[in-house]
Amino acid sequence: MYPISNIDYFIISIYLTGMIGVGFWFAKKHADFDDFFLAGRSLTTPILITTLISTYYGIDVLFGDTQLAFTDGVVAWFGYARPTYAFFLIAALVLAKRLREDRFRSLPDILDSYYGEKTRYVGAITSFIYSLPALSLYGFGMLGEVILGWEPVVGMLVLGGIALAYTLTGGFWAVALTDSIQFVMMCLVIAMAFPFAMNFVGGFNSMIELLPKSFFDTLGDLNVFLIIIYASTGLSVLVEPTFYQRIFAAKSYKNVRNALIIGIFIWGSYDWLITILAMSAKAAVIKGLLPSALEPDAALLTIVIAALPVGAVGLFISGVLSTEMSTLDSYCLVAGGNISYDIYKPALNPKADDQRLIKITRLGIILSWALGFGMATLFEQMLGLWVFLASILISSTLAPVLLGLFVKKFRKPLAGFISSSAGLISTIILNLYIMTKGNFDVSEETYVIQWFGIDFLQEFVMYITVPISLAGFFIGFALNERIRV
Amino acid sequence: MSYWEMFTWITVFVLSIGSITVFVFFIKDIKIILEKFLKGSK
Repeated sequence: MYPISNIDYFIISIYLTGMIGVGFWFAKKHADFDDFFLAGRSLTTPILITTLISTYYGIDVLFGDTQLAFTDGVVAWFGYARPTYAFFLIAALVLAKRLREDRFRSLPDILDSYYGEKTRYVGAITSFIYSLPALSLYGFGMLGEVILGWEPVVGMLVLGGIALAYTLTGGFWAVALTDSIQFVMMCLVIAMAFPFAMNFVGGFNSMIELLPKSFFDTLGDLNVFLIIIYASTGLSVLVEPTFYQRIFAAKSYKNVRNALIIGIFIWGSYDWLITILAMSAKAAVIKGLLPSALEPDAALLTIVIAALPVGAVGLFISGVLSTEMSTLDSYCLVAGGNISYDIYKPALNPKADDQRLIKITRLGIILSWALGFGMATLFEQMLGLWVFLASILISSTLAPVLLGLFVKKFRKPLAGFISSSAGLISTIILNLYIMTKGNFDVSEETYVIQWFGIDFLQEFVMYITVPISLAGFFIGFALNERIRV
Repeated sequence: MSYWEMFTWITVFVLSIGSITVFVFFIKDIKIILEKFLKGSK
């Protein structure tokens, strides 16, 4: 725990109270489900920029990037973060345009439209698992422990509980509005932290001199297969449920395209700065300014809190909490929608009215939060958990969604169903197998299992499961054709 | 000043000026949207 002044606590309290206030202000103001779930499809470019950026930047980026930058240097940006921008550009120029041509409400809606109800349910389960806020809750646990000296469980319950409260009451309007406030806070505090961190380690040149040369190698010391896998987690952007939700909630395609193109520059800058801040933490450890036992995923927090003056620390902590809350609220809302709109309504109550759907969405939000809490206490490290969740989503939905969206003749029920089911099941089985039969490798920071004399990392699962999903798609397509004949 | 440092200062500029500019436009838009939203919910 770090010494935090009363001024800092005051700033954090104001921030947290404000977030709850926004949620309660929106409570009971929703006219229908579209209002609650998609903010009435009226988001403009600036609102889209703020909500897209703040949602995407959660624990995986803030601590995943930091972890990698602290141990390996600039490869965290070049290998892990940068490829994602290419996927965002594809999404801006190609995918979003296609998605706006139909009036979808969710990712499983697309699967239903092209492959039928069964595939919708597989997509809904996948989207629900992916959207469980385990990473954000884990982050809250860590934040509570590092900053406030709380037990991780207390941090998860208190900080995660606040985000749950305003999401439950305010729906997507509250999420979008709080995201926007959170966006400015998280960007400004990171920009502000840089000069203080440089001052702390004795300047940028001093940091370069202190760090090993490999820290400035754009490919670092990382295994090339691992870099490919980290980069390919960016593929999740193309089937990311919260991202799709914002595309559907936008006023027009033009708003989405402009928001994404502007967003790429802000994303890139943010990623680069947290990479440099984590590297400065490493330099501070080498110089003896920070403890040598500093954990890689606590590097960013530690250096910034050590470097910033009183008052600025409170703003920084609020900014970090913002990063987490903006992610947790969005994922909980999507997961709630999966339960109500994608499963409950078509399977159990087709005549459910909008007020009933809003009520079930709220129950789904609570369920997702509770399951995310369970997962957050089970996993040992966050990069592995992020890869696990991303691999579930990519393996199960990438092939059927993209093939269905762009190739009309591929829209056959069995193709979508076999592809998504095979992708989902194989990913879960392989991940669980590696995590139970393999060993946790401290140096690789992931689970490893020996297969045919090769060290098979948990991160490599997608090498197997994406081809399984793709093969399943074409087997289903062929079967469908045969049945028809 | 190294290229690394120069690039970092550029990102500081993009992040701070960019986020403030976006927020100003956000305030402008949200006023109009909330007015409509409140009318609709009454």
